[in-house]
Amino acid sequence: MSEQLTPEDENRVAAAEYTLRLMDADEERRFEARLSEDQALKQDVAEWVAHFAPLADEYAPVKPPAAVKARLTANLFGAPDVPASIWSRLGFWRGLSFAATAAAAVLAVVLVTQPAPDAPVSGPFYLSEIASEDDSLRVLAMFDGATGGMRVTRTAGEAVAGRDFELWAIVGDNAPVSLGVLTDGGVDTIAIPASLQGAFGGVVLAISDEPDGGSPTGAPTGAVLAVGQVSGV
Amino acid sequence: MTTAADIDHLIARVALGDRSAFSKLYDATSAKLFGVALRVLNNTASAEDVLQETFMKIWRYADRYASNGMSPMTWLITIARNTAIDRLRATKQTSDIADVEDRVAASGPTPEQSAVAGSEAKRIVGCLDQLPDDRRAAVRGAYLQGESYADLAAQFDVPLNTMRTWLRRSLLALRECMTQ
Repeated sequence: MSEQLTPEDENRVAAAEYTLRLMDADEERRFEARLSEDQALKQDVAEWVAHFAPLADEYAPVKPPAAVKARLTANLFGAPDVPASIWSRLGFWRGLSFAATAAAAVLAVVLVTQPAPDAPVSGPFYLSEIASEDDSLRVLAMFDGATGGMRVTRTAGEAVAGRDFELWAIVGDNAPVSLGVLTDGGVDTIAIPASLQGAFGGVVLAISDEPDGGSPTGAPTGAVLAVGQVSGV
Repeated sequence: MTTAADIDHLIARVALGDRSAFSKLYDATSAKLFGVALRVLNNTASAEDVLQETFMKIWRYADRYASNGMSPMTWLITIARNTAIDRLRATKQTSDIADVEDRVAASGPTPEQSAVAGSEAKRIVGCLDQLPDDRRAAVRGAYLQGESYADLAAQFDVPLNTMRTWLRRSLLALRECMTQ
């Protein structure tokens, strides 16, 4: 600045620049070094924070998608209701790059309905509720051994724009097998691979957050949002 | 309707590790904070990440709120805004991973100042109106969208030092107006 400022004014202007974040990274670092030991400078910053605060009225509120809260609580609070072994296996499969313990779940398997009277009951019938810890994502899965099909009904939660929910089946210590991406409509019928049908009673189902169209690698790449144990009916 | 006192109370509960208070705080404030992140980043996926990061910081640092004297929404918005600006600049390869919380903790007004700030609320708008149009737009762009001197110089097509001189002068004028 061409005109000379008093040291007090110089500090006040620098405090405003810092509060607004006009400075580049190096300038910010230098300012913060001064800030840590200069009480008057802290006061200057505090004044500017208060001065500018009413401008925040111009930030229009936008409701975030429900999946954000599910991911947040999963990341922060983990999944106390799921056996540790399941989570350690999921962590292993998801690779070392994803350090945070993501995910949540409840294994609440409830017999809700009897099969409809005309439904074939010759094969085994399995039910699983796949839910995030805070119930913001809930999916009911019913596998009918007679047809080899699993009907998947999403009762809560929707994927973030540009992302998809992908459903995985996990048997023992094997890698997860993709059962496909859940469609937006909330109800899907999925043909279960023959190799899984025989062992369906011991399957764990999991839903992960994936790029549009599903995992590009064939293994879960995003946070595991919900898990459910399969039980025979 | 959640009042400032309610939010204040929720933050105090969160500082004690109360998850249900955290959930309520999220429900009460996430839309505003998501709005902040969206305005700064102009990208939904990044704004969602920033919202999550913001609340992780809130969970972690809630115990520092009580001592800083800011109004609760100002504290939350400051964290969200700085987290969003950090993200914006990290993606621009300027790689500044400043600890936003240190910034917030270092900058809290005393309770007396908060009281003064309350009575002065909105004065900033009147004082900004006294600036020339382009200077006002630059200050608003810096606050609302996290634009740096370099961003603003490019946007207004003036040399960096010219932008710096303009804004420094404007900030002094603003301060004079605000403290009159």
